[in-house]
Amino acid sequence: MRLALILLGAVVLAFVATPLLIVVPMSFSTAVSLEFPPPGWWTGYYAAYFGDARWTKPTLNSLGIAAAVAVLTVALVTPATFAVVRHRFVGKGLVNLALMLPLAVPHIVMAIGYYAFLADIQLLQTFPGIILAHTALSVPMAFLVLSANLKGFDRGLERAALSLGASPARTFLHVTLPVLWPGFAAAALFAFVQSFDETVVALFISGRDTETLPRKMFDSIRTTADPVIAVVSTLLFFAVAVLVIVPVLWRAASRRRLEPRP
Amino acid sequence: MTKPYLELQGLSKSYDGRTRALDGVDLTAAKGEFITFLGPSGSGKTTTLMLIAGFEAASAGEILVDGAPITHVPPHKRGIGIVFQNYALFPHRTALGNVMFPLEMRKVPKTQAVEKARAMLALVGLERLAERHPREMSGGQQQRVALARALVFDPALLLLDEPLGALDKNLREQLQIEIKRIQRSLGVTTIFVTHDQSEAMAMSDRIVVFKGGRIQQAGTPLEIYNRPVNDFVARFVGDSNLLPLLLTDPTAGIGEIAGIGPVRVPAQPGRKAGEAATLLLRPEGLGLAGEGAINTCRMQVETVVHYGDSALLVGHAGQTALRARLPGLVAQGITSNMEIVLSWNPASAHLMPAVMRDGFQNS
Repeated sequence: MRLALILLGAVVLAFVATPLLIVVPMSFSTAVSLEFPPPGWWTGYYAAYFGDARWTKPTLNSLGIAAAVAVLTVALVTPATFAVVRHRFVGKGLVNLALMLPLAVPHIVMAIGYYAFLADIQLLQTFPGIILAHTALSVPMAFLVLSANLKGFDRGLERAALSLGASPARTFLHVTLPVLWPGFAAAALFAFVQSFDETVVALFISGRDTETLPRKMFDSIRTTADPVIAVVSTLLFFAVAVLVIVPVLWRAASRRRLEPRP
Repeated sequence: MTKPYLELQGLSKSYDGRTRALDGVDLTAAKGEFITFLGPSGSGKTTTLMLIAGFEAASAGEILVDGAPITHVPPHKRGIGIVFQNYALFPHRTALGNVMFPLEMRKVPKTQAVEKARAMLALVGLERLAERHPREMSGGQQQRVALARALVFDPALLLLDEPLGALDKNLREQLQIEIKRIQRSLGVTTIFVTHDQSEAMAMSDRIVVFKGGRIQQAGTPLEIYNRPVNDFVARFVGDSNLLPLLLTDPTAGIGEIAGIGPVRVPAQPGRKAGEAATLLLRPEGLGLAGEGAINTCRMQVETVVHYGDSALLVGHAGQTALRARLPGLVAQGITSNMEIVLSWNPASAHLMPAVMRDGFQNS
């Protein structure tokens, strides 16, 4: 029984990790097209990636879009979360539903909707168009993350700040924000990664000048199967791993630092 | 009483527009007074505190501090220091940073603020822990920081919301004395909320007993203990025997208790013979009857609990349940199933309105 469980775990792990074991070696391959196992090794495709504007421009586009999406998402979700978590009002259930809707609707459906809608308002293939669409997609996760944090937040802290003479605005700035910042950071990170990774909607609504990295990868694999894709995939994997692992390590370290002294 | 400093006038609060969490509370407090709000949960004591702090809006009534109405002043402009049950220290600031907070909000110059905050930390005995974060401190230390933070800006009032509830017994008693000392040395008018009657007895100049959103009684600890206005207050503060009594001769002070017989009570001029009442007998007011004692009763002892310095006897006198607390030495020979004769001084008994059968007092 125990052996069977260990075996099952190993199989799942292998299933999850195998693509990595294929993609990472391929990025160091000498082959002219995607090929496994690699016939030889070099780092030439890394040089090609960083030296080719056809790759660096979509990368910068994606980074810029993701950053804007992170900021816009947090700016929009923050008041919504405070309203839903802290107040009772007519139509609260409906608001909750609306905020979670992008999670339930298939991306392809959203993509078609955005395609038609953004064309109508002249935002198709523009940065604002993509940012708006990605923000809408990021809202549910950011809302979930932030509301979980806010529910665990002790309102007594805010009452204490008010009683000590801080106006509501200064209470937010000096108490709520500093105490809740990991929640805001996590919400922003989720929004950033969501946008950076998003492919389906980007395929429909991004254009030649506003091409995102996932879209470029998709186009590339359809036309040339350029091994640079493996390079990008490898870089993406490590970038996301760092983004996810660093906060975990940092929290563990700070928790050890803040252990109560006797 | 001297000129009132804090005044509550007809204060009422309803959360749903129908039921009243607070129903017409009138109270005054003198400058420097230490007042305890005592009552079970849902009695209105915490609601009253929240209204004074400004975290909840009054449905009716007025709150005045030093003659000025503050009922519609937002909480951050009231200048009232509050210590919360869970401390509510800012986790991202050190002890000193927490105590500095109200001074920063008042734009006190930095050096002056540091000096003042350090002096306040010294007053609560924490000057050596100024650089620690709340989670590096014990519960008692955190509570002291919270107290220093609530006092450092010379608040108009100090509100303490069950501040000792989360601490263990020894620490609680130590902090009770500490809080009293600091409160007296600063002379700040203080309202302390608790459901712990011994805490209320130990700390207060005056106790206000709440029930069902109304004040049942306000008075000094001994007034509340010796002369409760009704059976609720009598039961809530201290241990009690509540004996139903029929007044047979009010002017002479004679009544009758079923199963015990005629007893002497304090004279009740103005009341009619045949009226029902409740006699409050504190268990420690009962003693073994001596020669020729008046007000005696035979008690069938069922249980004896020895505490060393005293012993609690639980049993019956006739049909009436009775509790007596005797000095430890006196009680040493008494065992369960014994019958003993007890007596009490008529002056130590207190008459209250009769308790109706459903448990509510008749008034």
